[in-house]
Amino acid sequence: MNIMLKLENVTKIYPGAEHIKAVDELSFDLPEGEICTVVGPSGCGKTTAMKMINRLIPMTSGKIYIDGQNINRLDTIELRRNIGYVIQNIGLFPNMTIAENIAVVPKMKGWDKDRITERAESLLELINLPPEEFMDRYPKELSGGQQQRIGVARAMAVDPPTMLMDEPFGAIDPINREHLQNEFLKIQEKVKKTIVFVTHDIDEAIKMGDKICLLKAGKLVQFAAPETMLTEPANDFVRDFLGGDRTLKRLNLLKLKAAMKPDPPVIMQGESPEKAKAMLTELKVDNLIVVDAEKRLLGYVNHEALEKQADEVGKVTRSTDSFMLASSSLKDGLSEIFTHDLGCLIVVDDDKKVLGILDTEDIREILRR
Amino acid sequence: MEARAFSPVLKKLIPVLLTIIIVAGLYKFYGAWAYTTKNLAEFFRLTWEHLVLVIISMAAAVIVGVGLGTLMTRKGFDRLSPAIMGVVNVWQSFPSLGVIALAYGFLPILGLSGIGVVPALIALFFNAVAPIVRNTYAGIEAVGSDVIEAATGMGMNPKQILFRIELPNALPVIMGGIRTSTAIIVGTAPLAFLIGGGGLGFWIFTGIALMDMGIMMAGAVPVALIAMIFDFILARLEHIIVSPGIRAEAFQAV
Repeated sequence: MNIMLKLENVTKIYPGAEHIKAVDELSFDLPEGEICTVVGPSGCGKTTAMKMINRLIPMTSGKIYIDGQNINRLDTIELRRNIGYVIQNIGLFPNMTIAENIAVVPKMKGWDKDRITERAESLLELINLPPEEFMDRYPKELSGGQQQRIGVARAMAVDPPTMLMDEPFGAIDPINREHLQNEFLKIQEKVKKTIVFVTHDIDEAIKMGDKICLLKAGKLVQFAAPETMLTEPANDFVRDFLGGDRTLKRLNLLKLKAAMKPDPPVIMQGESPEKAKAMLTELKVDNLIVVDAEKRLLGYVNHEALEKQADEVGKVTRSTDSFMLASSSLKDGLSEIFTHDLGCLIVVDDDKKVLGILDTEDIREILRR
Repeated sequence: MEARAFSPVLKKLIPVLLTIIIVAGLYKFYGAWAYTTKNLAEFFRLTWEHLVLVIISMAAAVIVGVGLGTLMTRKGFDRLSPAIMGVVNVWQSFPSLGVIALAYGFLPILGLSGIGVVPALIALFFNAVAPIVRNTYAGIEAVGSDVIEAATGMGMNPKQILFRIELPNALPVIMGGIRTSTAIIVGTAPLAFLIGGGGLGFWIFTGIALMDMGIMMAGAVPVALIAMIFDFILARLEHIIVSPGIRAEAFQAV
């Protein structure tokens, strides 16, 4: 895989504080299209590390390469225009409309008017804000969440391959933050940017990161995929930082698809009740999933339901709510199981086709790994 | 209950109209109207002189004030700004008449004449420059650091940040300073007569000297009108050049 961002022994010593290395020999490689969340206790140098990448803070020693180019050999202004930048306080320009805010970098790069308008419209669509409604409004007319989405859109205006995000959702309330995180991950699936994402929130780091870069007092403690960090923390500091519930945190990371038992026994709605009864007895189960010809979930039958006279299973099928999308997290799945006291959960895809079933034993099994 | 029926606009308009009627009545009653129509040529000459004093000193104050205020926010100069602000603040508390007197007394020391239009312009300029310097500096300083950081991070150079971000966002505050200064200049301009600067002050002081309310008002009323017209023009200008995104009265958040 192509390494998009490479840090080599990057060190920062602030003038006047020569005995402290704000960032100490930091090195890592970030492949193209991945998000690296930089996390650590406050004062660990995470923001400093990020700001050295677009040279808002000059590094003391070391090298940074973006797509193979040493950033110190590039023109600072040009470098910054080619890196999307999103900050915690958003920093939209209050004197400009939304369209003008998005147009800032394209304009500096000399794009023509039509191309800028077209780009602004498609970006607003990408972040789910109708262009005709938002283009000509001013930042102060927007809610915090909307402003932050504009901030992200503005950073992507010239489609930069790399982006820096400094606690982008830090100032947003928890409910909207979750929403923005999910929305951003969906966008990232489409745009595949290489992103350095600073956060102080370990849960956010785990959720958003393809890689987590954990810093302590300027030093890299562990650089790993979230799953690896949770299962194999490098030392006690990492273990403590992840928290006592790090096993539970894995639930957030893992998807139902990974833990479910695939291809459960099902019965077509057109089959006879006798066949259903035979299957229940043979498989030694209480309930049987009923599907249509396309394998889409209709409900379930059990012995009690089959008591009724019917010529086919479909007529006595009981509907059920105990199903979930395969892309949901194990945490949500487990919560569903406990909330409704379910024996198991039916896992379906976007078309409601049955993919598998999941019970608490399956979850236990995957966490043991 | 009846008062409630008035629209807010009308409520504001009534005192203004009443003032105008009273002033116009007095203007006519004391014979200011008669005096003006009899000396129409002189009226136009004095008004012209007055406008020249106001506009030139104002233009100079805006250029120097905005320039100095901006310079004080630039790297390297910002160390001097507390000192400059101190001077500006003390300067602003000087009475206008004092500044006129200073021009009269000081300019000869520098080998310049203390009498005439130029000393008057210099005095008016010094009266007006302080609020503009102060507001320009404060306005630019008040632009959010997050906004500046975003602009820098996006690859704007210092010049672009100044002209596209800092000055446009400081504009309401700068315009506030300019309007204050205009009020000071228009109000002080009649005093220019005292050092030979001409203008409508001539009639005001003549009226006072002769204890003739008519002549006095023939000078004073146009001065007040000029003040109002300038303020109106500046308010319109502000409305046009300040972005709706930072106008105080505009829009509710959604």
